[in-house]
Amino acid sequence: MDTKTGAVASKRNGATPLARPGRIRWAPGTTLAMLVVVVLLPVVLPSATLATEILIFAMAALACNLLLGYTGLLSFGQAIFFGAGAYCSALGMLHWQLGLFSALLLALGVGAVLALLVGLLCIRRKGIYFVMLTLALTQMAYFLAYTLSDWTGGDNGLLGVPRPPIALGDTTLVSLASPLAFYGLVAVLFAVIYIMARRITSSPFGSTLLAIRENEARAAALGYDIRLFKIMVFVLSGAITALAGALYAMLLNFAPLSNIELLMSEQILIMTIIGGTGSLFGSLLGAGSIVLLGDILSAIWPRWMLLLGVALIAVVIFMRGGLWGGLTSLLQRARRASSHDKEA
Amino acid sequence: MTNAHAPLLETRRLELAYGAFKAVDGVDLCIRPGTIHTVIGPNGAGKTSLFHCLTGERRPTHGSILLDGRDITRQPAHGRVGLGMARSFQITSLFQELSVHENLRLAAQGVDGWKALNFWQRLDTRKRHIDTADEVLERLNLTERAGIPAGELSHGQQRILEVGMAICARPKLLLLDEPTSGMGIDDIPTMTRLIGELGRDHSILLIEHNMSIVMSISDTITVMNRGRVLVEGTPDSVRNDQRVREAYLGEAA
Repeated sequence: MDTKTGAVASKRNGATPLARPGRIRWAPGTTLAMLVVVVLLPVVLPSATLATEILIFAMAALACNLLLGYTGLLSFGQAIFFGAGAYCSALGMLHWQLGLFSALLLALGVGAVLALLVGLLCIRRKGIYFVMLTLALTQMAYFLAYTLSDWTGGDNGLLGVPRPPIALGDTTLVSLASPLAFYGLVAVLFAVIYIMARRITSSPFGSTLLAIRENEARAAALGYDIRLFKIMVFVLSGAITALAGALYAMLLNFAPLSNIELLMSEQILIMTIIGGTGSLFGSLLGAGSIVLLGDILSAIWPRWMLLLGVALIAVVIFMRGGLWGGLTSLLQRARRASSHDKEA
Repeated sequence: MTNAHAPLLETRRLELAYGAFKAVDGVDLCIRPGTIHTVIGPNGAGKTSLFHCLTGERRPTHGSILLDGRDITRQPAHGRVGLGMARSFQITSLFQELSVHENLRLAAQGVDGWKALNFWQRLDTRKRHIDTADEVLERLNLTERAGIPAGELSHGQQRILEVGMAICARPKLLLLDEPTSGMGIDDIPTMTRLIGELGRDHSILLIEHNMSIVMSISDTITVMNRGRVLVEGTPDSVRNDQRVREAYLGEAA
């Protein structure tokens, strides 16, 4: 599907590129590349659990990217949705015996509603004030979760979160007990969300988000209701982040308090920025590299977060487009070099 | 609805006060359809404040604004586009990183209001907006530069694009805020020609400092001073008006 429409887009590109070249434009290969990565991850990595963690955080980073990369909204509120998705789906499964898909749907719904409320409040302010509001709300959510320890387990986290099978009524179709089976579920969900997000970002709605990122005052003067667009993208982002949170709780069989910490928001933001803002595939790269780095380095050196800081500084200063930007410029250089060879 | 005599845009006792200071002080403006109506005045006369009230950036503290007889005083800026008003900015305000074509396409899409909340349609299927953008590109003489980021255009071309984005909405009324501001002497004739051409199929409210443009293309000129309308009339009558001279000389003195 994507290759076909991609071809149409690249044909158009000659006359009228839809966006700035090299940054956010049609890259027909990335959906395919994403699928390849998703298939190869559990094969290449030592454990399917690690691969699952990568895709879950890639999902959260992708949602963050919709805000930061496409709309220009720097939100420290993502942990609210991630944590709420984890708690709500876990509580639903524990107390109401919700099945797999009802629990995931609950997370999506809770994420969307919370994001609507957070969005309605924060979007009243711009720039630094917006950022501070999201920070404050995340702190509030954290202490709320800490205080409601009867529900959330407080500091100990919510233990014994089940991982229900894919079932039809009472018949179990696929058990997700094995790490690889659960990876399969997460991989399918990730691919679906990726393709949906890709489609959304290249729709009139997505193009308007870019316009808002570039110049809010002008976008408003052209007739766009900026607040409406911002709230819509907030809801979208919140729902996806909450889904990632729910999957994370199922992966760990546990919903730790750290899910709803400010640090979680930061981590998701760092993944998004290191991967490359404004590129969906970049979010996969960012989440993948940070989760892997953490996995490898934390075994060697407990202060590995220090290196993460160095990596972030390096990307911000030397690779403004993040890993994705670096990769595309490398590819372009290689292509130019090979075309030079042909001419010579 | 619209006939040749009914005003397209009308303000009644329009007032914008900042505390005790009245930037706009009871202005009655009447823009007839199919005309180029220019507002001039010395610095601080209230032209820009008046403009902000008309675009919806500022809510007037008193009075009302009517477009085609409909009260739009409380309409937000984005809501006025769909009713047939479009504006340009005094300080160039483009989507710098997006292509020239995309700037115009977004401008054409904006007038559809909430329909841009379309999650699922591909950009390239929105043929109507692309066609509008192509048409305007042609008109602005920017077809060759369609693919480059708007920020890479020369300053003069950016000013032209600034005005071009306003016409993508196919408005009944164009509000142009000092379209020649900051333009080089060589580019000004191009802009004058463009505004003159636009005047043939749009009604235009123009705020402008450059007197040679004002005198050559305006049908009606309103001279403002200290928040009020000082004189209104044809270019010739305004040119020879003693009060206008005094207002401008007063500024120089």
